Amino acid sequence: MAAALRSEFRAEPNLTPLLDVVFQLITFFMLVINFSSENYDQRVRLPVAESAQPVTDERRVSEDRLVLNVDKDGHLLIGGEVQPLHKAIQTIKHQADLVKLNLKAGGVKADPSGSLPTTIILRVDREATFSSLISLIKACETNGFRKFRFKAMNS
Amino acid sequence: MAERKKVRRAQGPEVPVAPMLDMAFQLLTFFVLTYKPAPAEVQFGMNLLPSQPAIPISTEAPSDKPDDKLPASLRTLPTFLRAGDGGRLAQIKVGETAIPTEPKDALEKELDKYLQDPNLPFDQTVLKVDPRLKYAELVKVINAFSNAFARAKKDPKISFDELAPGEGD
Repeated sequence: MAAALRSEFRAEPNLTPLLDVVFQLITFFMLVINFSSENYDQRVRLPVAESAQPVTDERRVSEDRLVLNVDKDGHLLIGGEVQPLHKAIQTIKHQADLVKLNLKAGGVKADPSGSLPTTIILRVDREATFSSLISLIKACETNGFRKFRFKAMNS
Repeated sequence: MAERKKVRRAQGPEVPVAPMLDMAFQLLTFFVLTYKPAPAEVQFGMNLLPSQPAIPISTEAPSDKPDDKLPASLRTLPTFLRAGDGGRLAQIKVGETAIPTEPKDALEKELDKYLQDPNLPFDQTVLKVDPRLKYAELVKVINAFSNAFARAKKDPKISFDELAPGEGD
């Protein structure tokens, strides 16, 4: 009788499979987490292009890139800050100086034509006018950036 | 009684899984809230050239086979883009030829004539663009040039410049 009272019925769910599934989910999200979301500023609505090429991972990894987000008013969005044209030009020059410094520190010989190996990724809002864009492009060219990639959305 | 004690010792220590599961859920919640899927974007890759003065297109083919020794100004195909109301593309002119904005492949067909003709030396282009033109419209033209250069098996080389009033008329 006392023994029957002492033995209590306990329902203990098996937590091991649940823990296993949770670790699977954690691993998935750890692998797909993207810390460079600043480069994909959602305020910029890209235009639609029918036959542009998708970005391959190999290209992403191999090239040195500088992403320029331009809103519909032609302002540069960088580091969460909205920069008017004159400040944007200074930012571009500063970035070019950093690239040259890195090349020098790495012992890489500078290109005689003054071209820098960095690729400019232009994410420009579809409503931006050419006049605002050309000023930025000219500023990039003046500072040695020759490689450009114009981003768009696939149709 | 002694047998029960032996059975209990053989099972070993029990590890409480509940706290570990609790921490795992905390981590999962963090990653779920910070997850932001990367947008599916595409791109046009090109080497921009410094602005080159383009000369009017001559209807006569050069006597020698065109090669890289020709000056860049002779190898540059001038294209003029004029904007209409609301920044939309109103007029396209390739050299001296006006191209209708519709149908969409009209520009590509015209570009094929210049880029795929072995007697013509063009391997780059200068886009003289109306400052009022919207970027979305410019991308359509870049799209056409990108396709045309690809079909001609040439590297896309483009330079941009602002269209002055009255230029290209």
